[in-house]
Amino acid sequence: MSKFSLFLLLFTLSSGAVLYAQEDDLLALLGEEEETIEYANASFKTNRVINLHSLESTSAGVLDIKISHRFGTLNRGAYELFGLDNASIRIGGDYGITDQLTVGLGRSSYQKTFDGFVKYKFLRQSKGKKVMPVTAAILATTAIQSMKWQNPDRENYFSSRMYYTFQLILGRKFSENFSLQVSPTVVHRNLVKTAAEAHDVYAIAAAGRIKLTKRVALNAEYTYVLPDQLLPGFRNALSVGFDIETGGHVFQLHFTNSTSMIEPGLVTQTVETWGNGGIHFGFNVSRVFTVVRPKIQ
Amino acid sequence: MNFTWTIALIGLTFGQLPDAKLYEVNEGSVYFRSYAPLELIEASSTELKGLINTEERTFAFSVPMSSFEGFNSPLQRVHFNENYMESKQYPNATFSGKIIENIDFTKDGLYTVRAKGQLNVHGIKRERIIRSELQVGEGQIEVRADFTVLLAEHDISIPKIVHQKIAEEIAVEIRAVFLPKTP
Repeated sequence: MSKFSLFLLLFTLSSGAVLYAQEDDLLALLGEEEETIEYANASFKTNRVINLHSLESTSAGVLDIKISHRFGTLNRGAYELFGLDNASIRIGGDYGITDQLTVGLGRSSYQKTFDGFVKYKFLRQSKGKKVMPVTAAILATTAIQSMKWQNPDRENYFSSRMYYTFQLILGRKFSENFSLQVSPTVVHRNLVKTAAEAHDVYAIAAAGRIKLTKRVALNAEYTYVLPDQLLPGFRNALSVGFDIETGGHVFQLHFTNSTSMIEPGLVTQTVETWGNGGIHFGFNVSRVFTVVRPKIQ
Repeated sequence: MNFTWTIALIGLTFGQLPDAKLYEVNEGSVYFRSYAPLELIEASSTELKGLINTEERTFAFSVPMSSFEGFNSPLQRVHFNENYMESKQYPNATFSGKIIENIDFTKDGLYTVRAKGQLNVHGIKRERIIRSELQVGEGQIEVRADFTVLLAEHDISIPKIVHQKIAEEIAVEIRAVFLPKTP
């Protein structure tokens, strides 16, 4: 190869390289953008983990209809088809007033209970221009048990049917696949059976999610009731299940030792244990309806 | 040998063109439409960024996927980012390359050109030639380009259950006004 052809080669190579470099430089120049706030989203597939509220809220203008079942316990054996002959149901609806404020109503067949809640997300996990390590929400619920009075002859008060729950939900999406939350909880019962039982029951709940595929996640939640508040025989609730998402539906299939699907029952009325097969198979079906459509620019 | 290096250096210097004329997007939008038998999905972003080097005739565009708004429900938008575009992993869609036609940006007029370059969507680069209209005048360049993106070409898979709801070919419309870049 002559020296001259070597220059030509060098020349062509260098100018070619420069040209490509310039296109890349243009893209790189675009990269020098001002930092934006990047919020974490989809930490959980829906606003419930299993029985517990997740840190997610319902988006503004969206109605989320939830139909939930808990069958009887597995240890009832083949005669009751491992619990499938019995079912406890909750039908409810949650609505997003804003992206941070959710309200909901429901009715459970367990103790014929009506419930309502307000949930406000006051911190959103974010990175970039504004760094916030956690998402935090406050939940307030009221439940009204509407069963016939056990002693209709004595003087009964409507307030005796009421239960209140306050919960702080603190959580973080650690990675695309792993989210964890902790919820200090207090349940207030207006009426308790014996003087030995506390009106205010304190508990700490924890819940986590592992995303297995784009559309399937594994969830678990545990509620620890602080000691000496309930009578012996009451247990902590442990639930494990899967979320399966298909477009507008989320199907949650799970196993739990809690019959109730709302906080007062979950925290103060769980009697079954995993150890002896006192496990309910159950599911929640969530279907979202867009009431107020998002605007396109 | 000295002579060789001199020539090579001249080559490098010429290639660099120190006083490049850069125009940048002042106002730009990207709109897309998925027109499937059972559902029409539309969304748009006004966070389009872009640069044109009028001397080199090179260009680059970029849009953050998470900036798209619209859709038929907020959940659909979450799914768009989480399941289809995987926006955390592939935050931007980009298109960069060179304009094939040797047009003179100093003369006002309407030019139809072919923009040849790499379209990067969902982390998959495809070489594309996109027909664009450039309106040059009043110190600005207005760009209009309509094209389609095949989801399969960018490894975006559609589950069977939503086949009737998401089009395989997505129509995209770009509108942008470029002004001289201020240093």
